[in-house]
Amino acid sequence: MVIDMHVHPGFYEAISEDQKETEFRKKAMGWDLMSKFPVELTRTQMEFAGVDKLVLLPLDLTTQMKGWVVTNEEVRQMMDIAPDLFYGFASVDPYREDALEVLDYAFKELKLMGLKLNPSKQAFYPSDPMMDKIYKKCIEYNKPIMFHAGMSWEPDCLMKYSKPLNFEEVAVKYPELRFCLAHFGWPWIYDTTALVLKYPNVYTDTSMLYMDSPEIFLNEVLKKQLGELWIDHNIHNKVMFGSNNPRFRTARIKRGLESIDFRPATKEKILGGNALKFLGLGE
Amino acid sequence: MIKMKENKIITQSEFQLLPVTQEVRDFVTESGIKNGVVFVITSHTTSGITVNENLDCLYVDIEEMLERLIATNYPYAHSHFLPTYGATGGNAPGHLKSMLCGNHCVFPIKDGVIQCGFAQDIYFAEFDGPQMRKYFIQIQGE
Repeated sequence: MVIDMHVHPGFYEAISEDQKETEFRKKAMGWDLMSKFPVELTRTQMEFAGVDKLVLLPLDLTTQMKGWVVTNEEVRQMMDIAPDLFYGFASVDPYREDALEVLDYAFKELKLMGLKLNPSKQAFYPSDPMMDKIYKKCIEYNKPIMFHAGMSWEPDCLMKYSKPLNFEEVAVKYPELRFCLAHFGWPWIYDTTALVLKYPNVYTDTSMLYMDSPEIFLNEVLKKQLGELWIDHNIHNKVMFGSNNPRFRTARIKRGLESIDFRPATKEKILGGNALKFLGLGE
Repeated sequence: MIKMKENKIITQSEFQLLPVTQEVRDFVTESGIKNGVVFVITSHTTSGITVNENLDCLYVDIEEMLERLIATNYPYAHSHFLPTYGATGGNAPGHLKSMLCGNHCVFPIKDGVIQCGFAQDIYFAEFDGPQMRKYFIQIQGE
């Protein structure tokens, strides 16, 4: 199974009827020249790319921007519209007084499969004591967390919150909490590699902001800047395919990954096997 | 008199030649225009409109020729992060193939019938799919 772990459903037609809401999403995320499209196009693009599932990530920005970039309910709506295409995560603003109620509802009633948090955009440090209750709630429901890590392109947010080493205390304090440092924590790829190597509960994904082509960039980062065999021999169980769609197309990031000279077993794990384990769906 | 129609399609792959001749013929008939010209025009910068014979072998030759001229994986200047888009330009080959192909075709209409040669088929040419696409059929005449 091939799973794209990192998709923001900001322009899915069924949840983009309100133009003001779409404009809010574009402004919040620094997206432009993108417009809504039907689920049939997503299905066609997935068939073309050879991708079985997309993991949809919402973002609760209640405190910072008084809104959401796709709500938990909208993610559930997309999962109901096309259950064969989508897995869905929840989000919560950790500053909310009702954060735990939001999570209980998202996990118990909406049956969402994990939690998306963005320390930069939501303006918190991962080791802030305020976060303990959130992490404990995820452990209670056995739900993994997808953390934004590394560079943030979005406006009005600081990268300092999402530097990979900020997550080390969380990895140590909550060894039973699976979490992913998205975007390989780029440009802090060595810090990310160290965390992923050392802590069994820490994963990463490939949704980096490339600046040339997926083939050039992913080969440069994953085969040259990291040692040639580092992933194949050391962290092949911890790297997951993610595209950061709609900023980057799922098919193109997959094409870039497939161009890398990894062992076939490593490719299979990166493209889906590791995601199944992370999501709690497989060994 | 001028009549225009807008058609929307979802293309199925990165490269695709989608025959649209019948849609154009039907609109010519529907328009009631007896003598004039019909234009088929794409609405995008990474697609095109072309005319060729509808044969599988030619389809392959066209795709392979374009790939030889404009390789998918090449260090294109367009392939950089575009701050105003919030994305990286990943479709330089689509833009260049579109330039070679052209954005439209034109046929005469005589006695209410499009004057296509026996082997001529009109294609919407996708170079950056799959995507939701739009093309126009415009008829000018009397």
